[in-house]
Amino acid sequence: MTLVTHPKAQRESLAEKLDIIVTPIFAVLLAIIGMAVWLYSDIDDTTRSILAPEKIQGQLIDTIILGFASSALVVAIAIPIGIAVTRRGLPRVKTFLVDTLGLAQALPAYGLIVIFFSFMGSGIVTVIFALATFSLLPVLRNTIVGLEQVDQAVIEAGRGMGYTKRQVLLQIELPLAVPIIIAGIRTAIVINIGMAALAFLVGGGGLGETINSGLKLDRNPAILIGAVLVAILALVFDFLSAVAQRYLKPKGM
Amino acid sequence: MDFLISWWEFAASRVDQIQSGLAEHAIYVVTVLSIASIVAISLGILTRRNPLARELSLAVTSVFLTIPSLALFTIFIPFVGLGFAPSFIALFLYSLLPILRNTIAGLDGIDASVLEAAKGMGLTPGQVLARVQLPLAWPVIIAGIRVSSMLIVGVAAIATLVAGGGLGDFIKSGLARLPLANSLESIWTGTVLCLLLALVIDIALQVARRATISKGIR
Amino acid sequence: MSEPLIRLENVSKSYPGTDAPAVGNLTLDVYEGEVLVLVGPSGCGKSTTLRLINRLIEPTGGRIYLHGEDVTDMDSSKLRRKIGYVIQQVGLFPHRTIAENIATVPKLLGWDKAKTSARVDELLELVSMDPAIYRDRYPKELSGGQAQRVGVARALAADPEVLLMDEPFGAIDPITRDRLQNEFLRLQQDLKKTIVFVTHDIDEAIKMGNRIAILREGSEIAQIDTPEVILSDPADEFVENFLGSGAILKGLTLKKVRDIELHDIPALEMPVMRDEALKVLENSPEKTAVLLDKNHRPLRWISEASLNRTTQPIEKSGKPITIDLQPEDTLQDALGVMLQSSVGMAVVVDRQGKYLGCCSIESLASLIISDSGGQAKS
Repeated sequence: MTLVTHPKAQRESLAEKLDIIVTPIFAVLLAIIGMAVWLYSDIDDTTRSILAPEKIQGQLIDTIILGFASSALVVAIAIPIGIAVTRRGLPRVKTFLVDTLGLAQALPAYGLIVIFFSFMGSGIVTVIFALATFSLLPVLRNTIVGLEQVDQAVIEAGRGMGYTKRQVLLQIELPLAVPIIIAGIRTAIVINIGMAALAFLVGGGGLGETINSGLKLDRNPAILIGAVLVAILALVFDFLSAVAQRYLKPKGM
Repeated sequence: MDFLISWWEFAASRVDQIQSGLAEHAIYVVTVLSIASIVAISLGILTRRNPLARELSLAVTSVFLTIPSLALFTIFIPFVGLGFAPSFIALFLYSLLPILRNTIAGLDGIDASVLEAAKGMGLTPGQVLARVQLPLAWPVIIAGIRVSSMLIVGVAAIATLVAGGGLGDFIKSGLARLPLANSLESIWTGTVLCLLLALVIDIALQVARRATISKGIR
Repeated sequence: MSEPLIRLENVSKSYPGTDAPAVGNLTLDVYEGEVLVLVGPSGCGKSTTLRLINRLIEPTGGRIYLHGEDVTDMDSSKLRRKIGYVIQQVGLFPHRTIAENIATVPKLLGWDKAKTSARVDELLELVSMDPAIYRDRYPKELSGGQAQRVGVARALAADPEVLLMDEPFGAIDPITRDRLQNEFLRLQQDLKKTIVFVTHDIDEAIKMGNRIAILREGSEIAQIDTPEVILSDPADEFVENFLGSGAILKGLTLKKVRDIELHDIPALEMPVMRDEALKVLENSPEKTAVLLDKNHRPLRWISEASLNRTTQPIEKSGKPITIDLQPEDTLQDALGVMLQSSVGMAVVVDRQGKYLGCCSIESLASLIISDSGGQAKS
């Protein structure tokens, strides 16, 4: 029995392959640019102190923690809501949620972080909540879409064989929705790591601090290296998520 | 309630600033969207036959979107200085993917038999593109432009950090002056105006959509 | 008549917002070991009725009995684990292997691994799919016919007494569908399950059913009886129209190839020389012989004339045999095949494709004549 491969399926695996190749290439390119700047531009003492390794290291860790914490929060909220909203009887709630959150995308993350700051004070927790609000939509929407695209015949067969509603959800709907849900989580992770760079605005630390110092003190190398580091960080996590996406796909799909 | 009153007063007394902030922001968004649409749609059209070129352009534009906004705005500063330029470049790179992806999906989603019929009637590939494919793909393409517009209205607020102006200025000055008077109002002004601008642009695009899509496929 | 295995008593189903009920006050009995076919025009409610039995659709009125026990209110998931369910689009779980798909209900019922695994292999064999090849494959690798075989195997896994089938062969090409129908009938002969089968195709109903219920809108029974009675004595105009014209021809679908006597013509098995073949034909009253390969499978029709006409080796003389019949095929199928054949006959083969005998138009014709003589005029 031969496997059926048609052009669209082939195109998808080309996309998957490129997915995993192009991002690292960009990361490497950026690293090279960063290196070049470090080696060949005018690095005075101020710049050196902005770019002190211990500082950078600390900021790096802060950014990663922020990115992950907010992603975890989002997943814990969005997936249950997505599940609840796709059960029978709630189509209007679903449309309402998706539309409203869609609008929330247009809110400037910058503004959101600052507003949260004004209510919750400075620090990591504030940033986590702000980021979670911002990245809620991708995960929620993908959960909804992922669950809705499961073949109705498969669900009917499952029910007909005696699976309870809960079993159908856990053993059939969710596993089959996983690829799409993970794509949403990946988007959320990337958004959150990226936005975590803005944490410095409200005292949340992170690599944005380096960029900001560079801007304030007018040191281009610091700005560039800071930006490059932030970019590489995001690309690395996107790459790791893409790899996870590939390997978490259920066999047989 | 008090807040709403003081907010109103704040806004009323700064109409000029609000107008110029809105104008600056709107100019950013509209200019970037127009140019990005042309570039992305052209790219989508040019690469539609070549799977490798197509996937490559999708991958590259999606890398732009993966790079955090702060980084993308600031990384060009050493090369083009502060102000309008780095903001513009960053926003442009950001808005490419949704439009490109939807152009490709739109062109792809056209029923093969329609294209076959067009070819069979004697239209050249160029005519098929202009008279059949693009009109049929247009709803999907516009949907992509709407996604991009939502995306960059919010991100454009960051332009203020690189001296680019726009509505982000309200947020920045508010933040700097917290918790002094009018700081919160300033922040909310910047934030809410972004949202309103996004809504206006979205409605404008919806109207454009209705006006430019044939009745038969609405 | 014994106690019915399934009983729907005054069952009805109405949807809010519509005036006419989908199922209106239906009382239906299904007896152990029978295949009851629900057939009717689109929208008459036959699928709804089927799904009332395993309560995928809950009745708005009436009671449902299984083995005399009232199951209207019991836990519906538990009920369904006792009933096999096969649907048109199959619905195999794409993220699980064939073996895992089939093992679904046994696993739900808590069977141990060894027993389940043995059962999976047993069922795959039953539906003519080599376990060694198919166990670990995924649904996307199967053709439509294979997928439905797995669907049937999956439904039979926990050995339920009752099987519900909703247009199971509807999405399959006619040739495969025919084959699957035959295989299914063979299976049923061995397993003797109680089956409720829904179809919109009256020919399929006649072929598959021990009893047929012809349904009107609202799932109202127009007539429920054996195919023979319905064909010879339709209850009203609705039934007549549904049967369509050609009741006699439809009656041919009631008899199978195995019901008529096979014609005995000379069979020559390879390797055989032309001269030998000629001699056999000369000595026989038949004009045509059938050439078999080394494995006793039919290859060609050989006649004296074709042998004499050519100096070609015997494997190239005469006409090739391209279609065959199996004992489970209906006489209607047989008629079609025989009319296509240039010799007015068709070979009958067994499951392995080995030659059993020939079916001729003459024997078919005499059967029709003798039968129609005994039928009431309609």
